[in-house]
Amino acid sequence: MTTSNTTATEGGQTPAVALTINGLAVNAHPGMSLVEAAWHGGVPQVTSVGCLEGVCGSCRVMLRRGKEVTVGLACQTFVEDNIEVVFMPPASAPQHHYEIGDFKDGWDMHARFHKIFPEASRCRHCHGCDKACPKGITVENGVALAAAGRYREAGEAFFECVMCELCDAACPELIAPAHVGLFSRRVTAHFHLRPPNLIHRLEELRQERIETCRDEDNKK
Amino acid sequence: MSNGIPLTEALARYRIDADLGPLPELTDIDALLNTYHPDHLRDSVVKLEVGANAGDNCQRELAGLLQAEAFIDEADLAGTPVTDIDVLVIGGGGAGCAAALAAAENGARVLLATKLRLGDSNTVMAEGGIQAAIEPDDSIQRHIQDTLSGGHHLGDPALVSALAGDGPEVLRWLIHQGMQFDQTPSGDLHTRRAGGMSTPRLVHCRDYTGLEMMRVLREAVIQHRSIEVWEQSPAVELLSNELGQKCVGAVLTSLLDGQLRIVRTRSVILATGGLGRLHLNGFPTSNHLGATGDGLVLAYRIGARLCELDSFQYHPTGLAHPSHLAGKLVTEGARAAGALLVNGLGRRFIDELQPRDVVCAAILRECSEGRGIRTDDQHVGVWLDTPRLERANPGILEQQFTSLMTRTHVAGIDPRREPLLVHPTLHYQNGGAVIDTNGATTVPGLYAVGEVAGGIHGRNRLMGNALLEIISFGRRAGVAATADRDRGPKKVTLEHVNHLRRALTLAGLPMTQRAPQVLPAYAAGGIWNR
Repeated sequence: MTTSNTTATEGGQTPAVALTINGLAVNAHPGMSLVEAAWHGGVPQVTSVGCLEGVCGSCRVMLRRGKEVTVGLACQTFVEDNIEVVFMPPASAPQHHYEIGDFKDGWDMHARFHKIFPEASRCRHCHGCDKACPKGITVENGVALAAAGRYREAGEAFFECVMCELCDAACPELIAPAHVGLFSRRVTAHFHLRPPNLIHRLEELRQERIETCRDEDNKK
Repeated sequence: MSNGIPLTEALARYRIDADLGPLPELTDIDALLNTYHPDHLRDSVVKLEVGANAGDNCQRELAGLLQAEAFIDEADLAGTPVTDIDVLVIGGGGAGCAAALAAAENGARVLLATKLRLGDSNTVMAEGGIQAAIEPDDSIQRHIQDTLSGGHHLGDPALVSALAGDGPEVLRWLIHQGMQFDQTPSGDLHTRRAGGMSTPRLVHCRDYTGLEMMRVLREAVIQHRSIEVWEQSPAVELLSNELGQKCVGAVLTSLLDGQLRIVRTRSVILATGGLGRLHLNGFPTSNHLGATGDGLVLAYRIGARLCELDSFQYHPTGLAHPSHLAGKLVTEGARAAGALLVNGLGRRFIDELQPRDVVCAAILRECSEGRGIRTDDQHVGVWLDTPRLERANPGILEQQFTSLMTRTHVAGIDPRREPLLVHPTLHYQNGGAVIDTNGATTVPGLYAVGEVAGGIHGRNRLMGNALLEIISFGRRAGVAATADRDRGPKKVTLEHVNHLRRALTLAGLPMTQRAPQVLPAYAAGGIWNR
């Protein structure tokens, strides 16, 4: 399969699309994704690639078409003539710290949230996060919902988030919207998801364990 | 492979309301499997000659890697920086994160090293859901029975019973970490029934269960005080004691600067996942870029016993077109909902709801006998008749297969109007390292969890048991590895590598190939052509 493929495409016609990736000139076939083009062109050090189907958020690229600069995911973006592509370095470690196991009570969540994410209420509505999101999430609105304490709705807004953190990079106030969204989803499940069918089965299993222990004690 | 009907011709001939003809009778399933299933291809299986599984069957390309030369020897370790840690977890998918969190919860200082970015894994792509027996008419026992019979009764009953028994507790732990699941209007967890289940047992978060799980666990790991994460840091070798019989650490490299680093530890947990990116038997794969079987190679070289090395799951419906999505899955749910498989002559050829291995073999038969559909770049496949499905159930693709629609939309294909070209794709490694119910391998100090471990799924895995396995056994291994108190390494060596070199020389095997592979050749600066 592989050999015949090579001869068919390499020998048949010359690649039709010329672009640059990480500063190197690459000739690619139409229809190739930017990841494929990088591999095809032998661009070294392209290791921030994961799932190749747009759900892992690794292959972050900065794109320049003429004067317009945008960001996106390389496995979901296709080659174009003269586009300049730069694979972005991995995001730095998050600046906001919390361990969900430390939260004992949901009543002080609003205070906790603003202590963990003090920047979230300082959004200047520049729409940078909205424009950066490769999934079309209404990021700015999601942050506003979280800042107002509406975590369930905020989390729902971020449902399709793949944690590429491009919105974090775009935010001039360093809000880290992707992490605000994930925080909102996590506290919603942590404090409010109490499914009766699961709780019932867990209790059954606990009773069974107690009985087994008692039986074993009796045997002794 | 070169024969078949050209794509444009087949598309022009396609009619949404065409008569598909009668379904041919499936007379001899064994003959079909033996002739066409990739596990049975002639020359695809060899006998291993050295190591703990000498004499056992093994897929040919995998055998080459298991019996290969190491990348490093003792001279490379001189002057290499050393890190000491309680528990080392290798792999940053769901299993690795669950193991790291469990070890940290139990008081260990943990280092999690991952080849790519934390969370780059097959976990993130899992769409279906996670199995747990929580419905009133279901039971742990039924879950055990379904899993064992799904695996053709070759799974280890002790492991399967541990897996099924953990199900409800795993869900509670995931919710505690902040993972959401779909609920019924009354607040119960919503369950679905999928292939091989005798009752609804699949808990899910729409068709993004793996993504939801992975982003939550990834955040929990990053935020945990006792867990350090090294990204872009693949393991190239494990370390052993003076006798080469105990695992006491690992040697990591960096994809960014190539620097080696030694990690000395009480316990190593391998959570390196599968091997789809080895493209066994020339097949495309649904797996993520890092799935190159590194963990199997490292475990085998230090002496761990493996199992079912000739059994792989090929998912029947991987995309064959467009080429950038080659091998990526169309979920089994599409066939469950009624989508039919049609060959290049416009005929049905198999009952679409037969087990995965049978459907896979039937598609390969159509392709090899010239009834497949061929693209310009020599991919071959058969139609998955999505327009007909849409016509019978208007709106179904948008509502139930969002992820599929999003992916094909990017490529300018509308599955509501044109059928999808599909071909079997390498999906899952059924076997792996032999483990006990703590995830411990046969080598002291070495644990294996998730896809790299074997013994649970026999020779066929059921949907939803992989996501359960990574959390259940990830946590078991994390706890057990922390309890291993007295394994402070005195001396770290590569004695096990020397053992294997001697064995390879005695067996007269060539030592030209090196392993683990770390990245597929086409991604390591090579030529892309899959």
